[in-house]
Amino acid sequence: MTKTIVVTSGKGGVGKTTTSASIATGLARRGFKTVVIDFDVGLRNLDLIMGCERRVVYDLVNLVNQESSLHQTLIKDKRLDNLYILPASQTRDKDALTIEGIARVMHKLRKAEFDYIVCDSPAGIEKGAKMALYFADEAIVTTNPEVSSVRDSDRILGILQSESKRSKMNEEPVKEHLLITRYNPARVKDGQMLSVDDIVDLLAIPLLGIIPESSSVLESSNAGKPVILDEESEAGQAYADAIDRLLGEAKPHRFMEVQKKGLLKRIFG
Amino acid sequence: MRTGATTGHPSAAACVPLATSFIERESNVANEKGIEMKGGMYAFMSLRIDTTDLDRIDAMLADKVQQAPAFFKDTPVVLDLTPLTRTADPDSDESEAAARLDAMALIACIRRHQLIPLVASVVDKSSPLAASVALPLIEGRSRRDSVTDDTPDFSSTAPLSADRSADRSADRSADRSAHWSGSDGQSAEELAMDLSGGGAEIEYVARTPMLIDRPVRSGQQLYARDTDLIVIGQVGPGAEVIADNNIHIYGPLRGRALCGVSGNTSTRIFCQSLEAELVSVAGNYRMLETIPADLRGKPAKIALDNDRLSIEPL
Repeated sequence: MTKTIVVTSGKGGVGKTTTSASIATGLARRGFKTVVIDFDVGLRNLDLIMGCERRVVYDLVNLVNQESSLHQTLIKDKRLDNLYILPASQTRDKDALTIEGIARVMHKLRKAEFDYIVCDSPAGIEKGAKMALYFADEAIVTTNPEVSSVRDSDRILGILQSESKRSKMNEEPVKEHLLITRYNPARVKDGQMLSVDDIVDLLAIPLLGIIPESSSVLESSNAGKPVILDEESEAGQAYADAIDRLLGEAKPHRFMEVQKKGLLKRIFG
Repeated sequence: MRTGATTGHPSAAACVPLATSFIERESNVANEKGIEMKGGMYAFMSLRIDTTDLDRIDAMLADKVQQAPAFFKDTPVVLDLTPLTRTADPDSDESEAAARLDAMALIACIRRHQLIPLVASVVDKSSPLAASVALPLIEGRSRRDSVTDDTPDFSSTAPLSADRSADRSADRSADRSAHWSGSDGQSAEELAMDLSGGGAEIEYVARTPMLIDRPVRSGQQLYARDTDLIVIGQVGPGAEVIADNNIHIYGPLRGRALCGVSGNTSTRIFCQSLEAELVSVAGNYRMLETIPADLRGKPAKIALDNDRLSIEPL
């Protein structure tokens, strides 16, 4: 059974692409055949985060327009055997996508026996975002600990309830997960950021994970390597925990408290 | 202003464009059929005109619209001109009333208040009044002449209550039961069932409250027509819940809540935590800033007390 997961947020710059890359990689590492699709047509980024930007030949728009085959278009990840990337087109815009076209692509991916399809949504609530969430079975709503991001997430949750295929076909609703990214416990303590409790209270959906603000996220992005592969970093570990929870394991949330610096760290910084 | 309903009567050619426009909206992109034409039944707000006094109509419309401007803005209405036959001499049909009513000016006036007249319901399509109306026409029935209703108000037609025995209660039961399929997503079957209630001998049919058992999200708008609205969960900031009757929120109210929007001043809002952007009872509203700080974040009841909005802890 193929499961389709959309990573969405409403607001831009909160970490959707970083999350899509790490979630897809994490699922593939657990042995699931996974594809991650970049829906941000015109603003292609996922290929950079996945480190496959030099291998893009065909893209999602070609596939939607039946100008290329699935086999030609999918880019196989160099690190993991069962991970594939479906890049966006950089030269086109969101109007190049149609529900019928996407439906055809989804059908092909199901026939190719993918376990997971991870859809990296563009920001906003317009056509591109609606296309990305239309076929979703589950949604990972990425939120930063600040009010505008939380409100936009609330809005996108409303759209998931009314515009997804599951809602239109009166099926079981899309399963919602909250992923808080760029969480900085010290700034929460100072009152500069919303706390986990505040966000969960405002959005009222189950918490999938808390990704702490970490320089390793940017470093990994620049290196074209999903941060989940950086097992030393807190962000990488937090994504790995989120994968466990996504697969149904109960795990306590980490990285919510201000870390006390050890003696050596205090001396050597 | 209350609701009436138009039916997709086979002879009512005017309804066909309405029906297709709804079908277009309903069919989602994935399984588009191009076009499909079929009969359908849709509830619309009906604007009944009882008087030929344009100034009075203008003033009353302004008053109605002012109570809930956002709700009435761009709302399609069925212009019900059937009552004007009642005031005219039966022998001269509609000619007398028609002579006194400037239909063009009337429609302009309605549009000025940002309502959208779709079709006009008249008793006889060939009458002079009908001929002067620049709208598609449907033939409706006038309410029985014996119904003495001296207060010219905005009421509805009851197209399915042709049954004589029902006419006595048609005014109330049809108005109560007829309802609106546009915004609250009620099914056509439910609507049909509701409408059929108009033909029965029931004085008053309490409608089942609209029950929402999930959070209302930012940007979502819910409207419970002629009934209570119950939300189990929160109403998020930027969300709007509207009802003709009471609103009950079992969770925090962080968005807007407007009860009694059709003018019922005895309606109330109840919520478990008052953090609303705006609360309104029958058009009397208050913003969060004017809500005393000691009432915020606590269970509250909002009601109208002598035209003043009173907020009390629960």
